[in-house]
Amino acid sequence: MRDERGHWYLLTGLVLGVVLGLTYAWLISPREYTDNSPASLRANFKDQYRAMIAAAYVANGNLPRARDRLDLLKDEDVARALAEQAQRSLAEGDSLSEAQALGLLSVALGQGAPTAFSPVTPNTILVTESPPSATLPAPATATGISLVMTPTVQTHEPSASSTTLNQTPAVTRTLLSTGTPLPTRTPTITPGSPFLLQNQTFVCDQDLSDPLIQVVIQDSTGQELSRVEVVVTWEGGEDHFFTGLKPELGQGYADFTMTPGVVYTLQLAGGGQVIPDLYPAECAAESGDRYWGSWLLVFARP
Amino acid sequence: MRRWIGFILAVLVGIAAGLFYGWMVNPVKYVDITPATLRVDYQSNYVLMVAESYQAEGDLALAARRLAVLGDRPPVEIVRQAMIFAAQAPYADSDQELLSRLAIALQTWNPALEAPVP
Repeated sequence: MRDERGHWYLLTGLVLGVVLGLTYAWLISPREYTDNSPASLRANFKDQYRAMIAAAYVANGNLPRARDRLDLLKDEDVARALAEQAQRSLAEGDSLSEAQALGLLSVALGQGAPTAFSPVTPNTILVTESPPSATLPAPATATGISLVMTPTVQTHEPSASSTTLNQTPAVTRTLLSTGTPLPTRTPTITPGSPFLLQNQTFVCDQDLSDPLIQVVIQDSTGQELSRVEVVVTWEGGEDHFFTGLKPELGQGYADFTMTPGVVYTLQLAGGGQVIPDLYPAECAAESGDRYWGSWLLVFARP
Repeated sequence: MRRWIGFILAVLVGIAAGLFYGWMVNPVKYVDITPATLRVDYQSNYVLMVAESYQAEGDLALAARRLAVLGDRPPVEIVRQAMIFAAQAPYADSDQELLSRLAIALQTWNPALEAPVP
């Protein structure tokens, strides 16, 4: 009688045991709860971790170390994640220094800047500049965050698609590391009369690898303003960005990379003057090489 | 009776197999965790970042706030744990020095004397 029932009870017991074991191991007392990597962090903690990496980078200027640390977060596009967080940080009114640190690291990663970078010590950065213009940051040098474009008068030979464009010489913007105290407060936008377009220029600069819309925002005294939101729209798309994320180019500077073949319209957030028909156009070097030019728009309060 | 003993033994073997699989072979992978549950080397790395920033910024209250994400322990305890790991790893002397400076500063730091952060 017993033999006829076979050994199914053993299999039943085994399956029951496995189910109980897995329930305990996965649901009741899971392992690895205190053995996690930064990639598993909740989104807001990831942001905090990323901001900390940027702050440390600004402190020590060690780009490979920052890159290694960012790899732990397993972001698909590290530079983009940094830039987006910087934008969010500004939009939410968080620390400007945090946003700038994120922006600096994003730029450094995007450029593949060398490791040499003068660490920021308390009160050590002074931004000096001549009138704003279109320049792209050159790689940082061993002697500081030297982002200098030599003033040159460039030959602008617009292509057929840009025959009405004017050309202006590039102007130097230099970031110097000095002993001058860093201002504790950065000028930011305050309510007042709307900004007006003071200057719209098409700039041919071979050092700019991408066609950019470069925006500079100033107050009525000519002082650049950070945290000003700029809105760029195009057919089927819209993007927002803020001034001040590339402090090495000025507190009031921001740029946007255009895609060839797309026509953009720009407006400062909160209304104001609409700047239509911004699109990439080609420039020609003396050697005959063609490259993309950029738009420089300077807004100021009257 | 023998059948019951066999059944219970089978259950126990199944539980052991389930635990081995659930804990060792295919453990739960957590997402959306807090920094307090990071592995100690990652926590130490974070503390080192705080120390690097503190070295440049000199803002002890900010450093303490940054350390607070690693748990409810006193900030100086968090740094000490990182120093122990840094000594075992070992971190570079300069990095250990940074951690040491932060720990020393935090030992004498009194949060009650700090102005409230808006």
